[in-house]
Amino acid sequence: MKTSSTKKAVVLAFLVAAGILMQLIESFFPVVMIVPGYKIGLANITGLFALYAYGIKEMWIVTLLRIFLSALAQGSIFSVSFALSMTGGLMGLAAMSLAYKCGWFSIYGVSTAGAAAHSFGQVLAISWIYQQFFMQLFLPVLTALSIVSGLAIAMLTSMLLTRLRFSRALERG
Amino acid sequence: MKKADYLLICALMVFSAGALIPLAFSRKEASRAVVQVRNKEIMAIDLLKDANYTVQGTNGPVNIEVKDGAIRVTQENSPHHYCSKQGFVDSVNTPIVCLPNETVITIEGEDESEDTVIS
Repeated sequence: MKTSSTKKAVVLAFLVAAGILMQLIESFFPVVMIVPGYKIGLANITGLFALYAYGIKEMWIVTLLRIFLSALAQGSIFSVSFALSMTGGLMGLAAMSLAYKCGWFSIYGVSTAGAAAHSFGQVLAISWIYQQFFMQLFLPVLTALSIVSGLAIAMLTSMLLTRLRFSRALERG
Repeated sequence: MKKADYLLICALMVFSAGALIPLAFSRKEASRAVVQVRNKEIMAIDLLKDANYTVQGTNGPVNIEVKDGAIRVTQENSPHHYCSKQGFVDSVNTPIVCLPNETVITIEGEDESEDTVIS
C-alpha cells in the first residue's frame, strides 16, 4: 500500500508539471484568435487524466495546483487573468465532477461539459469584473467551440489512458 | 460515446444557436450621436439618416456628415485638423474631439464593437 500511494503521488506531481508546461506553452501560441479568449486548453488533459485514472478528488488537486502554479510562473498571480482562470477552472471542475458522478456520460461527455462550463464561468467572471456585457455576445460562439475542444481533449486523454495502461478506468464510461 | 454524450452536444449546439438569435435583432441600437460645444449639449443627431449638419464651434463652423450609421467631421477650423482627419466613427467608445473648437461628438446607445483587450 505504501508503494502505491507513493506512486500515485509521483504520477499526480508529473501531471501537475505537464499541465503547467502545456498551459505555459499554449499561452505562447494563441492557437485560434478568431474569438478573444478562446483556447483549446491542452492543459485540461491532465485534469481529465487524473479524473479517469484516480478519481474526482485527484482531478481537483491536479487542476487547482496547475492553475495556481502556472499563474505563479507567469507572474500573473492574483491578477485579473488569474481570477478568470480560477472562475473558469472551478466551474469546469464542478461540472466535470457532476457529469462523472452521475454516470450517464462517457469521457467525451464529461470533457465537453467541463469545457462548456469553463467558458460559461469565464464569461460570467469577465462580465462581473469589467461590468461590461459585450462578452455575452461571445458566449454562443465560445460554447460552440467548447464542443470542439472538449471532444479533442477527450480523444487525446482516452488515447493517453490506453497507452499508459490505465484503460480499465475507461470501461466505466 | 454514449447516448447522453450526443444529447449533451446537441443541447449545447441548440443553446449556442439560440443565444445568437437575439443578437440579430439588436443591431440597429446605436442610432444617436450627441454634439457638445463648450460642455453644452446642442444637438442630437439620428445616425440612421444620411445628412449634413453644421454647428458653431469656438473657431467657426464645424461641418458634420452622417453616412451609413457612421459620423465624421468634414470641415472645421483648427491648427491640425485632428477631428476631420479622424474620419468616420461608429463606436460608442470612440468620441470625436475637436479641442480648438471645444466640440465633442459622442455616439450613444448599445454598443456591439469590442475594443477591450483581455489577455
